[in-house]
Amino acid sequence: MVKSEIKSIEEIVDMIAGYKKVLNVGCAGCASVCLAGGQREVKQLNTKLQFHFKSNNISTTVDEYMVERQCETQFVESLKGRIEKYDAVISMACGAGVQYVAEHFPEIPIFPALNTLFIGVNKEIGHYEERCQSCGDCVLGLTGGICPVTMCAKSLFNGPCGGPQKGGKCEVSMDIDCAWVAIYERLKKQGRLDNIHKIYETRAWKSQGQGTLTLKEYQ
Amino acid sequence: MSTEKNNPVDHKMIKELLDEKKSKMKLSLAACASCSLCAESCFMFNIYDQKPEYMPSYKVIKSLGVLYRKQGKVSRQTLEKMGDLVWKNCVLCGRCYCAVGIDIPEMLAFTRMICRSQGVDGVYPHNLGAPPAECEALGSEN
Repeated sequence: MVKSEIKSIEEIVDMIAGYKKVLNVGCAGCASVCLAGGQREVKQLNTKLQFHFKSNNISTTVDEYMVERQCETQFVESLKGRIEKYDAVISMACGAGVQYVAEHFPEIPIFPALNTLFIGVNKEIGHYEERCQSCGDCVLGLTGGICPVTMCAKSLFNGPCGGPQKGGKCEVSMDIDCAWVAIYERLKKQGRLDNIHKIYETRAWKSQGQGTLTLKEYQ
Repeated sequence: MSTEKNNPVDHKMIKELLDEKKSKMKLSLAACASCSLCAESCFMFNIYDQKPEYMPSYKVIKSLGVLYRKQGKVSRQTLEKMGDLVWKNCVLCGRCYCAVGIDIPEMLAFTRMICRSQGVDGVYPHNLGAPPAECEALGSEN
């Protein structure tokens, strides 16, 4: 899922400075799962903001609302009839959600409370790791399920480079595993080392520029 | 917009929220033909041994349907049971298919919004999502 983390309170306060009625809109999708922008986080942020406003004699009010998924038209539209009462909106969704709300309600300034980080996995609650950069040309079938775009510091498709260090570490940092050593070990376990002996053509990284996808059945 | 968990249920607030979409929701509830096509399309229903409480129509009728029938005058206990139905029994994936065109996800999302207004929330993961010390105090379902 998409992983995000909340911005500093100072940055958020700065963004909404001067607005009198603010609506804080959470997202019950990915942002909720990574504990960044769900119901709990909306309440926590509002508590902090209200404390800040009261301490500094600022008359701004901030209300709360949850949208099931801010990236989905049907759920974003539930804001109609409600959002118009506010001067500004804080969105606790990922970048896609923030933009979608802004697109549906272009007259109202929408401010992101989160920094969207990556597509990743939940190792455990509160611990997330990046796994995918949506390059648009997945080679995981060739590399034993380890992504060279994400996990290799140089995103090599025909690795390794000349740099792997002792213990299978990357030359960039001893804290980073060399992705291609890991790919080698994985393919060896699966008896598919032939894959690593092939040379692959340079890929067209389709993720440059805005992507769109319309399924054939819906054209 | 929400009342806290321990406050009395604000029936007036619930009624106002129900009135926002009254004509569409009541029509949708009345239109249900109990054909169970929505159940066939629900993976929760299919993986949980086809128990009726996972049928999309069941979830909606036993939550939003009850709210409309009682005009919002429900107890906190009833709201919490509804919360279980619309959060634990549904992930709002949107797969549910209705032969007569009822927008089931919209109805479930609307019910969630009403529950939240009274401090009944779904928290991911249920009973977790809090730091470990809090989880131990609350008790985990997993």
